[in-house]
Amino acid sequence: MIMSRFVNITRQKNIPLAAPLFLFFIFFLVAFSSFGQTPEAEKNFAQCKACHTIGGGRLVGPDLKGVTSRYPQAWLIKFIQNSQAMVKSGNKDAVKIFNEYGKIPMPSHNYTDAQVKDILLYIKNGGKLPAGSEVKKAAVKISASSAQKITPAERYLQEKREGSRNLAIFAIISGVLLVLSLLDLIFTRYLKAKWIHYVIILSALWIIGEWSYDFATGLGRQQNYQPDQPIWFSHKVHAGQNQIDCEYCHFTAETSMHAGIPPASVCMNCHTQVKKGKRTGKKEIAKVYAAIKANKPIQWIKVDNLPDFVYFNHKQHVKVGKLDCTECHGDVAQMDQIAQVKDLSMGWCLDCHRTHKVQFTNNKFYGSYKKLHEKLKAGKIDLVTVKMIGGEDCQKCHY
Amino acid sequence: MEKKYWQSLEVYKEMKKNTASDKEAMPEFSIDGLDESEVKGKSSRRDFLKMMGFSVGAVALVSSCQMPVRKAIPLLNRPQELIPGVPNYYASTFYDGDEYCSILVKTRESRPIKIEGNDRSPISQRGTSARVQASVLNLYDDARLKGPVKSGKQNDWKTIDKDIKAKLETLKTDDKEVILMTSTIISPTTRKLIGDFVKSYPNVKWIQYDSLPMSAMRNANEANFGKAVIPFYHFENADVMVGFNADFLGTWLMPVTFTRQFSKGRKLKDGQTKMSRLYQFETNMSLTGSNADYRYQIKPSEEAAVLLKLYNVLAKKTGNTVFGSPSVKTDVNTAARDLLKAKGKSLVVSGTNDLQIQLIVNAINNLLGNYGNTIDLSTPINLKQGQESEMMQAMSSIQSGKAGGILFYNVNPVYDCVHKDNLVKALKKLPLKVSFAATMDETAQLCDYVCPDNNYLESWNDAEPVQGFYSFAQPTIRPIFDTRQFQDSLLSWLGAEQSFTDYLEKNWEKSLFPKQKDFTSFNKFWFKCKQDGVYSFAAKDGPQPSYKGVRLKAGKPMENTLELALYEKISMGTGKYANNPWLQEMPDPVTTATWDNYVTISPAFAKMQGLEQEDVVKINGKLVLPVLIQPGQAEGTIGIAIGYGRNHAGKVGDGVGKSVYGLMNVTNGTKNLLGTVVAMKKTSNTYPLALTQTHHVMEGRPIVRETVLGSFIKNPAAGNEEHEKFLKSEDFSLYPEPKFEAFQWGLSIDLNSCTGCSNCLISCQAENNVAVVGKDQVKRGRIMHWLRMDRYYSEMDDNPEVFHMPVMCQQCDNAPCENVCPVAATTHSDEGLNQMAYNRCIGTRYCMNNCPYKVRRFNWYEYVNNNSFDYNMNSELGKLVLNPDVTVRQRGVVEKCTFCVQRIQEKKLEAKADNRELRDGEILTACQQSCPADAIQFGNLLDKKSAVSKSNDTGRMYHLLESLHTLPSTSYLTKVRNKEA
Repeated sequence: MIMSRFVNITRQKNIPLAAPLFLFFIFFLVAFSSFGQTPEAEKNFAQCKACHTIGGGRLVGPDLKGVTSRYPQAWLIKFIQNSQAMVKSGNKDAVKIFNEYGKIPMPSHNYTDAQVKDILLYIKNGGKLPAGSEVKKAAVKISASSAQKITPAERYLQEKREGSRNLAIFAIISGVLLVLSLLDLIFTRYLKAKWIHYVIILSALWIIGEWSYDFATGLGRQQNYQPDQPIWFSHKVHAGQNQIDCEYCHFTAETSMHAGIPPASVCMNCHTQVKKGKRTGKKEIAKVYAAIKANKPIQWIKVDNLPDFVYFNHKQHVKVGKLDCTECHGDVAQMDQIAQVKDLSMGWCLDCHRTHKVQFTNNKFYGSYKKLHEKLKAGKIDLVTVKMIGGEDCQKCHY
Repeated sequence: MEKKYWQSLEVYKEMKKNTASDKEAMPEFSIDGLDESEVKGKSSRRDFLKMMGFSVGAVALVSSCQMPVRKAIPLLNRPQELIPGVPNYYASTFYDGDEYCSILVKTRESRPIKIEGNDRSPISQRGTSARVQASVLNLYDDARLKGPVKSGKQNDWKTIDKDIKAKLETLKTDDKEVILMTSTIISPTTRKLIGDFVKSYPNVKWIQYDSLPMSAMRNANEANFGKAVIPFYHFENADVMVGFNADFLGTWLMPVTFTRQFSKGRKLKDGQTKMSRLYQFETNMSLTGSNADYRYQIKPSEEAAVLLKLYNVLAKKTGNTVFGSPSVKTDVNTAARDLLKAKGKSLVVSGTNDLQIQLIVNAINNLLGNYGNTIDLSTPINLKQGQESEMMQAMSSIQSGKAGGILFYNVNPVYDCVHKDNLVKALKKLPLKVSFAATMDETAQLCDYVCPDNNYLESWNDAEPVQGFYSFAQPTIRPIFDTRQFQDSLLSWLGAEQSFTDYLEKNWEKSLFPKQKDFTSFNKFWFKCKQDGVYSFAAKDGPQPSYKGVRLKAGKPMENTLELALYEKISMGTGKYANNPWLQEMPDPVTTATWDNYVTISPAFAKMQGLEQEDVVKINGKLVLPVLIQPGQAEGTIGIAIGYGRNHAGKVGDGVGKSVYGLMNVTNGTKNLLGTVVAMKKTSNTYPLALTQTHHVMEGRPIVRETVLGSFIKNPAAGNEEHEKFLKSEDFSLYPEPKFEAFQWGLSIDLNSCTGCSNCLISCQAENNVAVVGKDQVKRGRIMHWLRMDRYYSEMDDNPEVFHMPVMCQQCDNAPCENVCPVAATTHSDEGLNQMAYNRCIGTRYCMNNCPYKVRRFNWYEYVNNNSFDYNMNSELGKLVLNPDVTVRQRGVVEKCTFCVQRIQEKKLEAKADNRELRDGEILTACQQSCPADAIQFGNLLDKKSAVSKSNDTGRMYHLLESLHTLPSTSYLTKVRNKEA
């Protein structure tokens, strides 16, 4: 039943969705054709930023200001794509740079020639997009996020959230009506037909009851919880600007029930070189060094907490279910300090289990579900949700 | 006529009186024994209002408060193999001085939480025992010493090493003997190290001391074969086995190995119709006796005479020398007939530590040609090497002042030595007394220095339990406290720089690596050894040494005396595990008693003496113990378990039961559990015993089904007629037929294989965080075990047949519990599991009342962090054993067996992540994994090729109380006894 409700929702919402998608497409085209340099370049350059500046001085690697005039473009493309190969082949310039910058190898980048050219243009422009593209960039961003980020489950939730806000409004109105009808019933006796009072009182109590229940279930939940961490670590810088993959640091998400807080040694992969942050200077990074030196682990504060009686497994959701991290943790790339985005209630879990499509046909494990495969083939159902393979069972999460 | 079964004597008596037995059944929850105030309630209306005000206020306060801050603390530097949330398994070795087992240790976040059987071991073959399962809890024992102790005060290793070294040197120059008293050491490297130690300190005299020695068997083999060894037995090759007071399925020598072998010879799967037969002659009702096809009761003093009689019957028929023997009534002709029929495929064993008896046993086995077939003298068992004579010598050299020091390793003679009073007196004279005990035990109390040994899970070690078969132990956790392995202590007193780890590796590289041919590089060999945990050199089928006959004789049985038969309990053993709450609360599989030892007497004797259960008696005018009426106890005998009455075991074990080591029978220098003559007197007192016996009565329904081999061969469904009836009955139900999509989990238990050893019970407890509730709660029927071992008796009460039946949640498809839950806390899953959501349960206990199997458990109290239940869950250390994948239940909720759903989910997820179908046999429940008898099969019932479906595909299959139409997913296979109808 809930399944069908979900399908309906998608159909209704398909129409307003089309507009931003269309906009996105237009802007994309315009940006690409008229300026020869795309906002993608800025995004890609985020990776470079970890080691380079444009006119900001030397970091791990050289300042890139004017680099396009110092070296021929073909050389630059080769170097950016695979610097080590060039060093090994004995290219004079490459070896010189390598030795000059402490023999720290520049990692290979999997960019196409066109992408590198784009980045070089971006560098040539001094790290700025051509005038006029700022607005479009913002527009692209919004439209992109609205097109990509909102999942069916989220939409379903959004509707629920609206429902709960409406309920609160209803509850207030009902409260007022309740008081009015009580006053009228006892004192003013304006309305002669008493049944109207009773109907209003009963319905008001019903609505207030619903609302109280709704409110009470929210107790003990920590949506929007955003504690101060012992180290001012910004996901916005790491996951957003530097585009570091979530699973680079949270590397057990596909192998364990815990996504894992990275050990300090993982930080050191980069921070042996990057010793200064743009916004915090040396202060925050030094805390990592101090922890390693003192052999005292960093006591991070857990943000997304589940009760002890809930068993949640990242491997199931990330590796098998192929869910994007952002579906539960929100757009981490936009947060400096991590906050709990979803309410992590059982209803929220179940809503997704009821609506989410299982990777049913491309995982051999599900071959055991023969009847469902038959139904799929026969066209009786068009997708298999988690619920259909027992995703609503208590002992999937409670044991 | 239908056989009637009974579970307790009370029920049996009622059955005889032809009254309904259900009246007798103890109510599961009784208000007897509660205070009056608890029954009536003493709160007034005002109290109620106060409480309500407080509760409302508290709720308001709590809900307005912030949630507690939780921390996530990652490692600074993660070792490569450690992934938080993913278990690691290490192959290791369990050896506690008595029992050996090859194991896998499951660790989570670097802490061992569960012991599993190692299937690569040819000796223990994935089986474990209850004690092995429970041993992981000893690692987290609060009683463990936190560091070395000097004169009763904690000190540091440096000082203590300096002191002891100096004293050892002085004793060496004074030429005073230093006794190194250890348990039997089966580690070849440790033996070598002790050799080195003795070389450095020639005044050190090493003796091995066993609390229950088996010296008589070694001496008998020396007399007969010229080799003082304990041979290796092959019960699986024997068609007929005769045991004399040898509880080889429970406690004798290598119970795990022997159970494996025994059950192998009795499997009736895949159309097999051959089955071995076991005769047991014994005094107490042992686990082995309860599994025997024919059981005879003999007094300890009769054993030699009965054995000689058996020998004579056999000798006469085979034309061998007959020896004069005193006459005994016991019939041995049936056994003799069968033994002769199975010549070369039979086996006679005796557990009595008496030279004469062991000589007769050897003579019989030789007569039957069993050497080389069922008994292997060429690969002897290295356990139990202690000789009482060594101990006596040591005692006299202490008393005479010849000795100047003593070191105790893994022994506690002040508790378990017969001559403990003399020993305590003598010890006072010694200038150097060192104990390596991990806890401040009775012996350590009297020592000047205690150098606590690591737990075995923190240590490197090796073992050679059977000649040519090696086993390795590796640490699975860093030493929790400032303790040091015994071997490292010796090394440091030798002044060696290296650790025992290096010493071990070097010893293997030098002495054992050259002997093998599989590997060319030592590193590869060593890696393989550590990974598998075992390594065996190709067995040499050496010729069996020739037999040299000796004159056999037997003493005359005693008459009109009361003979005492001490015995080892499966749970408590020799008393090493007294502080282990899991083992203290484990019901004995035969008596179903927990938390105590007691005097077992036969029903006839009880009647004669006017004794009733729980009456207190006085033994020899001193020892006061309650009585437990045990059907099957031999006339004129009483039985008491050793291993109780510890005074310095720790908070759990202190003062539980009484120590009876002083009553051991010492004749001709050998210590024997059996045969002490005692006097018993009734007192007017009673003492409550916590039995799990009557509070799970199944009210005389056809629960255990059995047949004999002859009938089974004619009709595999023999004895299972009820099932036929059920299948033919009209399938009528108000509820819709359950349908499953891909999986329907099922468990099949072969009652013919199950011996009742209760390994599964502790395995389940460790896996599922089952709470220990203490004697008082057990008495009230509130034991929490998810899996219980039911025991039923049949036939006459003086020598009944015994049945063991593991019962856990039957996971009914038509579950009566689900229908009555008012909050839908227990529901049915898509995979046929009867689910229990603790967080939803409000504790009405309707489900418990409606469960016909009585497998649901209620948390009457908070068992965690509660000083009233001061066991492992009330200690920061003890809680480290908890399985993080299973919720710790809180007060007021119902819990039960889940079919180890966490293991099901884990393996399903592995299959999904590997993009493959789930394999049959991949999921092993905790009870199944380490079952030494391989009696449990688990798998998908929808898959007709799965092991569980195949196991169920026999006429022997039935469900518990199937007439109720609960459609359980757990099935049982009828028990088949190999006896004449």
